[in-house]
Amino acid sequence: MRDCLIEPTPESTASGPLLPEIDTIVLDPKTIQRRVRQLGSQISRDYRGQELTVVCILTGAFVFACDLLRSLRLRVLAEFIAISRYSRRPTGGAVKILKDLQSDISGRNVLIVEDIVDTGLTLNYLVRNLSVRNPASMAICALLDRPELRLADIPIRYTGFNVTSQFLIGYGLDFQGKYRNLPFIATMKRLS
Amino acid sequence: MDEISDRAAITNFAHESEREFARFLDFYDIEWRYEPTCFPLERDDRGRVSLSFTPDFFLPQFNLYVELTTMKQSLVTKKNRKLRLLRQLYPEVKIKVFYGRDYRRLLFKFGQMSA
Repeated sequence: MRDCLIEPTPESTASGPLLPEIDTIVLDPKTIQRRVRQLGSQISRDYRGQELTVVCILTGAFVFACDLLRSLRLRVLAEFIAISRYSRRPTGGAVKILKDLQSDISGRNVLIVEDIVDTGLTLNYLVRNLSVRNPASMAICALLDRPELRLADIPIRYTGFNVTSQFLIGYGLDFQGKYRNLPFIATMKRLS
Repeated sequence: MDEISDRAAITNFAHESEREFARFLDFYDIEWRYEPTCFPLERDDRGRVSLSFTPDFFLPQFNLYVELTTMKQSLVTKKNRKLRLLRQLYPEVKIKVFYGRDYRRLLFKFGQMSA
């Protein structure tokens, strides 16, 4: 289901923010949890009778992945992978894997779980990297999709919500490493 | 700084934001070409090109042109007209436009600048 657009509800926008820097809650906990359960049901149906290796991309996807994993009615192997992020500091360099999978995914059904997809370049790299390990199948599940920033045409089989280019925090998404613990997804005042 | 990053450093970009974008692409090992194609959009009575558009980047791996628009709104309007013409005349050409706000937020995500 790719067309689940964010429409802030009166209750979510009017709820008192926990922190003064939070501007608008665009996805409240109830909305997120309901959608995660829907995704879990859909994935469980699609992989019925099969084992699944869920690859969580650290760090942003860990909250989403935890909830998603608990909603799956399958025999699941949970894996985690971390790759370097682009930064002007330190100089140059290239993307690389900082923490690799613990198990061999050859012949396994792999579901990559990402928090948010914008340019798609991170996933493009990861899909290329994991493909050479010969999984039986590979699919992507993203909590948030920001298609207007897409460069790499990466097929996302499971999408939680489509979002615009606004900067978001909470439910795993961070600003300078903070706010990942928030149970909702919000914009920040200073960035709006 | 490695060889790939050097390419972004030595290319004669029109704007620093383009150099930053090239570095961003280099990081992900995405091949890029800077302003490789000029698309004629309008011609005068003698058939000479009177209006053209040259997208900033071409990414061969994705067969995609990218235009960065970080300029002021009055110039954006002019560029949007060119983009409309480009899409009419060359419907097979894939082009992605990053407007100022989108581009700043993208870089902000990676700690480059304030949004």
